[in-house]
Amino acid sequence: MSTIRILFNALLVVLIITGLTVSSAQACVGKTLVVGALDNPQQQVLAEMLSVLIGERTGTTVKVVSVAGHAEAHDAMIRAEMDMYVEYTGVGQVIILKEQPIADSDELYKAVKERYNQDLNLVWLKPFGFSDERYAPEGTVAVAAPVVRKDTLKKFPALARLINKLGGSIDDPTMKELETASAAGNSRDVARKFLKEKRFI
Amino acid sequence: MISLLRIRLALVVAVLCLLSSCTLGAPALKLEDSVIEGKVIWSGEVHIDGIVTVKKTGHLTIEPGTRVLFEARDKDGDGIGDAELLVEGALIARGAEDAPIIFTSAAEQPKASDWKYLYLDFAREAELDYVISEYAYSGLQVHFCRARVTNSIFRYNVDGLRFSTVSLYAAGNRIYGNRHGLRYEERGSEARLHHNDIRDNEIGIFVVTRSDDKARIEQNNITNNSQYNVKLGWQQPGGVTLPNNWWGISDPVAIQKTFFDRQFDDNLGVVSAPQVLTKAVKLSDWQKHEGATP
Repeated sequence: MSTIRILFNALLVVLIITGLTVSSAQACVGKTLVVGALDNPQQQVLAEMLSVLIGERTGTTVKVVSVAGHAEAHDAMIRAEMDMYVEYTGVGQVIILKEQPIADSDELYKAVKERYNQDLNLVWLKPFGFSDERYAPEGTVAVAAPVVRKDTLKKFPALARLINKLGGSIDDPTMKELETASAAGNSRDVARKFLKEKRFI
Repeated sequence: MISLLRIRLALVVAVLCLLSSCTLGAPALKLEDSVIEGKVIWSGEVHIDGIVTVKKTGHLTIEPGTRVLFEARDKDGDGIGDAELLVEGALIARGAEDAPIIFTSAAEQPKASDWKYLYLDFAREAELDYVISEYAYSGLQVHFCRARVTNSIFRYNVDGLRFSTVSLYAAGNRIYGNRHGLRYEERGSEARLHHNDIRDNEIGIFVVTRSDDKARIEQNNITNNSQYNVKLGWQQPGGVTLPNNWWGISDPVAIQKTFFDRQFDDNLGVVSAPQVLTKAVKLSDWQKHEGATP
């Protein structure tokens, strides 16, 4: 009996030490977060904004990758190749979930948020504060918001609260300005300048 | 007569060959993924292309003037080089003022993150003196152990010197040209840092999280960091006190403006800098203060 207890305790110690070693090693460079962006100035500047905000406030390494389209971005999220990207409510409802259009903006956001959370383990965070008709399938609106994998939020529990600071901070005219600047120059610099001016970083 | 000349010539050539081989030293040591157990001494040039681990039973001594070159290879595509030196046993790296030990990138055009880090993790013993660590993700990371770092340079890294949960003594070091000069998560650390230059980084000191204001960071020059001299991470609600340092200026209000803290975000603690020094500390004086309370 005592031999079994000694073996059990030894195993426990080994497991604790192994766990400590692994957790400390992971904490030291950590997982690199991946943000997806479609190939247009709006998506690029918003992805860089998420990347700079997360990187500078938490010290986590964040990488921005290009994706061909909404469906490809969604697939990459499901395959855990990306941690987050910016999606539009109308696209989520009609193109991704293949549901009927909803005209009311709040109702639409609520509907996609619920379905993504329940069926896809993806979380819609607070909308940025602008909508863009170019991304709205017929009969819907296109409110932009960060969509993040639920697993990622479990690994980085403070992430949702941090990203939600951007909620409501970009209205339609501001987005147009950012997009124009992003098209003319470096998206990361544009994003950083915006975050600095708003005292987010 | 001619044959005598030939013999003499051959002798001269032989002596020259011998001399040149002595001068050039041993060929560079090349290491891929490997472990060090028992006593090992490095000198000359060491190339690392993978993870070299000094195991608990290992004791690595690095001689003055040694150059350790890490290959800039990023197999997993995370933007951070894969090569590293991980120390779980003992590391004694004592360089000299005129012969520092250099940890650097092997790339022709080196950049930050070319290699991962020099990482002390549960190390039995760690002493670095007159070391230069550059172009890494972290010039030096120290976790769960006791370490002494003096007279060294940490430059052109993402994190110059980074620690958590340690007993760290760091004095007489120059930390510049990094994204974060000094980065730490205190987590009960007994860190004492004095007579260091923490300058010309983007962020001078980045206090990421879980710090209870116990690290003693006094009598340093913390100046000219382009974004902030001190920044609190997203999850650092507690205050951080940094007394008796030189900030490059003496006006307390101007100094406060170089901190990213509750002024920017209600969730963060407050950085305070009491007893501001009126002139820069001389790094070479660090030994006079070694045992003293600053």
